[in-house]
Amino acid sequence: MKTTKRMEKDVAVISLSGKLMGGPDAESVRQIVRETLEEGARKIVIDISGVSWVNSTGLGILIAGHVTAANAGARLKLTGVSARIRQIFMVTKLHTVFDTCESVEEALESFSS
Amino acid sequence: MAEAIGADEILVRIPSRLEILDVVDKVASAIAEHMEFPEEEANSVANSVIEAGTNAIQHGHFLDAGLPVDFLFQIGADALRVRVSDQGPGFDVEAVLRSDPTAPDSLLASRGRGIFIMKSLMDEVSFEILPQRGCTVVLTKRLKRGS
Repeated sequence: MKTTKRMEKDVAVISLSGKLMGGPDAESVRQIVRETLEEGARKIVIDISGVSWVNSTGLGILIAGHVTAANAGARLKLTGVSARIRQIFMVTKLHTVFDTCESVEEALESFSS
Repeated sequence: MAEAIGADEILVRIPSRLEILDVVDKVASAIAEHMEFPEEEANSVANSVIEAGTNAIQHGHFLDAGLPVDFLFQIGADALRVRVSDQGPGFDVEAVLRSDPTAPDSLLASRGRGIFIMKSLMDEVSFEILPQRGCTVVLTKRLKRGS
C-alpha cells in the first residue's frame, strides 16, 4: 500500500492506494496519522479511492486512525469509499462510526461550512 | 440441503503471505464474473474469500510463509463453493460465533470481524477442524436466477 499526504489550507489529505490488509500497512497509516496530528492538523481526510480492497485487519487500521484522531480532538473524514468497501462497512456497522464523503472536494467543503 | 456442486474445480495454492491474497482476489472475482453473479454478490464472494485467507494466514499459520493455504473453487450450476484450507490448530468456532462485533462495546475493536463478515455475506459458512491436521472454511454462494 502507498500513502501520500498533502495540505489543502488547514486540511490534511492523506491518500491511500493499493490493498489495506495489515502487516506493514498498519504502521504506515498509524505513523502518517500521528505525524499529521503532531504537525497540528485537526481536520484530516483519508482518501481511499485508490484502495481496491480492505480485509478485517485493514478495517482495524482505519478504526485506529479514527480513534487516534478523535482522542486528539481532530475530525477525520473518509472519502472515495468504493461499493465493495462500503459493503463491508455496512455489514459491520462501521458506516455508523466513520464520517464519509463521496469525494475529497466534498469533504473539504464540509469542513469549511 | 447441500446442493450439487459440479465437477469444475480450480485450485489455487499460495504461501502464507498477505500480499499474495491479491492474486486470490483476482481469481475469486474472475470466477464470480464468469458465473455471472451480480456485482454486489461478486463483491461478497471476493470479500469473504479474502477474509478466509486472512484468517488462515494470520491465525492458522501465524504468518509462516512456508505453510501453504489452499483455495479450492468448486463451480456448480447453481452455486459456487470455496474451500479455504490451512494447516493450523483451528479455533473455538462456537466462541467466535457467539461474539457480535457490531455490538456497541465492540464497534471500535481493532479485530474480530472476519468470520462475522463471511457469515453476513455468504449463503452458508461452515468449518471443518481436524486436530493436528488443519482447518477448512467452506463458503457457499448460490446463484439466484430470475425472480
